[in-house]
Amino acid sequence: MNYENIVALERKLSLPETHFVSGNVYTDKTIFETEKSKIFFHTWHFLCHESELLDKYDFRTISFLGQPLIIIRGSDNKIRSFLNVCSHRGAKIIHSPSGNSKKLTCFYHLWSYNDRGECTSIPREKGYDNANLQKRLCGLTEIKTDVFMGMIFISFNKKIMPLNDFIGNSLDPFKDTLCSGELEVFHYSKSTIKSNWKAWQETNLDLYHEWMHVLLRKTQINAGNMKDRKVKIMPNGHAMVGGLKAKYGAYKGINYRQSSKALPGLSSDDFFFVDLFPNFAILARGTAIRIDTVTPIDENTSLVEWRGLGLRGDTSKDRRLRWKHHNQYWGPFGRNVPEDAFAAEACGEGFIKSASRYQIIAREENGTGQDDGMLRAWYKEWSKLTSLNINKP
Amino acid sequence: MLKYEEIVNFIQKSCWMLDEEDFDGFLGLCSKDFQYKITAFSPEINKEMIWMDEDFEGLKSLLGMVPEHLRRLGKFTRHVSIGQTSRKDHEVSINSTFIVIHTDLDGKSNIFGVGRYNDKITYTINDVFLLSRNAYLETRDLGIGSHVPI
Ligand code: FES
Ligand SMILES: [Fe+2]
Repeated sequence: MNYENIVALERKLSLPETHFVSGNVYTDKTIFETEKSKIFFHTWHFLCHESELLDKYDFRTISFLGQPLIIIRGSDNKIRSFLNVCSHRGAKIIHSPSGNSKKLTCFYHLWSYNDRGECTSIPREKGYDNANLQKRLCGLTEIKTDVFMGMIFISFNKKIMPLNDFIGNSLDPFKDTLCSGELEVFHYSKSTIKSNWKAWQETNLDLYHEWMHVLLRKTQINAGNMKDRKVKIMPNGHAMVGGLKAKYGAYKGINYRQSSKALPGLSSDDFFFVDLFPNFAILARGTAIRIDTVTPIDENTSLVEWRGLGLRGDTSKDRRLRWKHHNQYWGPFGRNVPEDAFAAEACGEGFIKSASRYQIIAREENGTGQDDGMLRAWYKEWSKLTSLNINKP
Repeated sequence: MLKYEEIVNFIQKSCWMLDEEDFDGFLGLCSKDFQYKITAFSPEINKEMIWMDEDFEGLKSLLGMVPEHLRRLGKFTRHVSIGQTSRKDHEVSINSTFIVIHTDLDGKSNIFGVGRYNDKITYTINDVFLLSRNAYLETRDLGIGSHVPI
């Protein structure tokens, strides 16, 4: 689909330019490369939760856009991230997804690094004397890392604004819960889905698609308080949605949630969420929190990761209940998440070869109900960072 | 005493009924205090997890709602290979490995998940019932997932 046709279509639809997105935005390789450099390697990205690195020397390894990373809590309790590649011949150093180690030793020729990424030992180091290799210059490459309300973010951009400024007040609804210091990740799953990464993020931004989920039709739409929902657009492309209470018992097989099991700062029927630009969503359902992130593998394939957060001090009985609450909605066998993944993949099929020429994001309901304002705000930020127009890219 | 062959037939039948999405038939094989679980281990967070956890009534309710959900079309086939059995009174524990294959509407088959069943069955002179099934998954990237038990 070429530019002229898009313009023709725009005329036919008579929509404002902010209210539809060209199909190219999801499929074009050049646009995808622009997104990588101008968005993913530019801004802040959530990597993991601090409970995944509870003790000194705990580490996690994560691949971010093909970059192998290691995140480690140092002896000074500071969390640092490095490229997980050896300074010697470039081998990936640590292969297990998590662990605890004072020393990171590369398996190949046994060079070792400490929790600050410094190269601390090179076997038979004397052999490098003639070439004047200096160990102090052989440390790991550090990536800018910061923590906000217990969540660890990185940026490949040394000049990026401080994380505090990037997030601003966007996560305020989660403050009492996330800052309680009592949370831990009790669920982790990931899926490779066949679609452009934005199609997944749109499932978190598109409030209109609730009709697709029978569970949400019963517990939210038919529960009758959808008009109370409020969308708030925040700076930097973030947005929050609140004001909705879920009626869990309205779906056969899902039980009401006891208030005694609610997380700090939440009541058991609360449902609200925040999307952080570009690829992060955090959702509260009274007794459990879900964090999801999507990172592209290529323009047609994406990795979605889900984390469930509950109380670190849960008894085994409470943990079992929390898993159930979380996973009945959001697990790989949940009633909700497989439907979102289905929708993202179906849009993926539509985008391929530009069969789908545009997406309409034109609903306006004064920021309540099923307004598309979040999608428009998200694409406004996308345009700002990529310098591309969403319907004439 | 339940013969080995009868045990194999019973486990196969339970899987075929799920393959055919004959949920009433499957529930008919389960005892009223049936417990169903899907579990997995996450090396990322170093924890065992429970991804599905239902008793008989819970499972019956969820299965009753399955037709109302948006789902990927096609069919799941459970290939089960029974490993060990152990007996105590009128209970038999059965460990098996499974591969679940998804075949789409174009007839293309892909592995959905690999894991182990730990089943417990009980029997009387006339009947055999599934007391519990724990489906432990090795596969953790399940694509778009599923609404149906494994
Ligand atoms: S590549 Fe790591 S020690 Fe040689
Ligand atoms: Fe959804």
